[in-house]
Amino acid sequence: MATLNRKSLRFGNRDLPFQLALIAFGIVTFFPLALVVITSFKSNTQFYHNFWLPELPLHTGNYSSAFRIIWRYIDNSVLYSGSTICLIAVIASVAGYVFARFRFPFKTVIFLGFITLIMVPGVLTLAPRFVLVRDLGLVNTPFALISVWVSGGLVLSTWLMRSYFESLPQELFDAAYVDGAAEWQVFIYVSVPLARPMIATVAMTTLIGTWNDLIWPLVTITDKDKMPLAMGLMQFSSDFETDWGTLFAGYVISSIPLLCVFAVAMRQFISGLTSGAVKA
Amino acid sequence: MGEVMFRRLATSPPVIKTKRENRSPFHLRVWRAKWLYLALLVPVAMLLIFEWLPAFSALYNSLYIWNGGKVHFYVGLEHYERMLSDRTFRVAIANLVGFVFFRVIMQTVLPFFAAEMIINLRSQRWSYWWKIIFVFPMVVPTILNYLIWRFIYNPQVGLLNEGLELIGLGEYTHAWLGDPNTVMWALAFVRFPWLPTLQFLIILGGLQTIPQEVHESAAIDGAGFWRRLFYIDIPMTRRQITLAMILTMLFMTQRFDLFLVMTDGGPGYSSMVPALQLYQSAFHFLEFGYASAIGVVLFVAMLALTVINLRVSAGATAD
Repeated sequence: MATLNRKSLRFGNRDLPFQLALIAFGIVTFFPLALVVITSFKSNTQFYHNFWLPELPLHTGNYSSAFRIIWRYIDNSVLYSGSTICLIAVIASVAGYVFARFRFPFKTVIFLGFITLIMVPGVLTLAPRFVLVRDLGLVNTPFALISVWVSGGLVLSTWLMRSYFESLPQELFDAAYVDGAAEWQVFIYVSVPLARPMIATVAMTTLIGTWNDLIWPLVTITDKDKMPLAMGLMQFSSDFETDWGTLFAGYVISSIPLLCVFAVAMRQFISGLTSGAVKA
Repeated sequence: MGEVMFRRLATSPPVIKTKRENRSPFHLRVWRAKWLYLALLVPVAMLLIFEWLPAFSALYNSLYIWNGGKVHFYVGLEHYERMLSDRTFRVAIANLVGFVFFRVIMQTVLPFFAAEMIINLRSQRWSYWWKIIFVFPMVVPTILNYLIWRFIYNPQVGLLNEGLELIGLGEYTHAWLGDPNTVMWALAFVRFPWLPTLQFLIILGGLQTIPQEVHESAAIDGAGFWRRLFYIDIPMTRRQITLAMILTMLFMTQRFDLFLVMTDGGPGYSSMVPALQLYQSAFHFLEFGYASAIGVVLFVAMLALTVINLRVSAGATAD
């Protein structure tokens, strides 16, 4: 019986209590989100009259007015996070490769210079880093965000890339050397393609970290035109404080970019993290 | 991250490839490695400028009165003494301790509960879908969580108050974030019961690595759900649970965007936490020296917490 149920979508008898618990849990989890979506189609009058249920007519206009404002922030965030991800992917792969595959003087010292930074929390460096970035004249430019995000992300990424390259079997590289490949060819044509899953993990971590960072943009970006999404949403929520429909339409719109990324990469992300990438 | 790191380092394979002999004189080896140094130049420079320099600047300037600009003079340990008598800071520490304590429990029990339910399912397809469903909320930007919860706690049209009215408990409606007595509790429940993605996946991964045979033989021996939970599942995922707890602790100690967005430390300073006070000292009052000193204290506290945790979990696994 059990084996029969295994493949079907129907609940097995034994599964029933667990399924019920999970369903209850799921409902509590998604209830606020559902309410946000429902409210995003309402006018303010509808919202004050009928708090809980959807109501006709649907005010899709909320979405177009919210989109006009949110769009700019999403655009900025894609630019900032995108450049950060590309830079980190390139720099961390090269550095990880060098650390994994070569022996050279001062290697240990340099590598320690990387990984001890894992222990240094962002709050410690927040204030002096701001002064530094200000004195470099980067305040209110994309470089204020990108430079700091890249250097912050490099610490973990380099270490991840290094351990990944170390885990690749030597034979793969030997084959390439025998065929007369130069070191840079081995790196570009053998190592990088093999490391694609790890590069994807690094990209994903960086994306989530930078996309959600609020504090650093808050201290370095002042122009509304240049705000990334997290900060823009705060601005947006104070600009539209009592216009609930538009406000929530903006909330829904701002969740879409990551939704798209995850629709593509969710499977890989989950299996990557649960199948031993983070095995304590 | 600490534990993973050290384990990885301890087990990483020795460097296999030595393209050239290592017996040549030192300066020659350095010269031969010039391309490698060049390849590392960019990351090393970036880390020196944007990570190491600010870190040491924080240590150094915690001994100075500094407005971030020209005003800069030595005061020794005065900032640290001031912290001892600073009432705001004391409230902030008390708030943080309670908050972290509550959060660590919530952010371990909830993911464990969900993961346990999921691995108990026979239907593979359903357990896959539940994983996706519970990871899904991470597409919502963090800041939106806070903004949505600000709406939930809104005293006029908030979800919580409306819900209380709906089920006839109207007399309990409250300005949840505006009352010093409820504000910290309200903040502690923000995102409830959303699962912290990383912690959830770590614990789930741990539960999934328990071999099927162990569960089967427990079932044959007549162990029910609860016995299995307490005698097999919890002990066998101890490492993952510890890691999840450390991560929560470290995140919660240094993240203050929640407090900044929801209350900005108010009303008064009843929901102040040290990291937020650091932020306000630096960026509202231009006391960069004092802010740096708070940062140093937080850094030391987090380091100590990690070390203690690693010791305790190492001790737990040794026996």
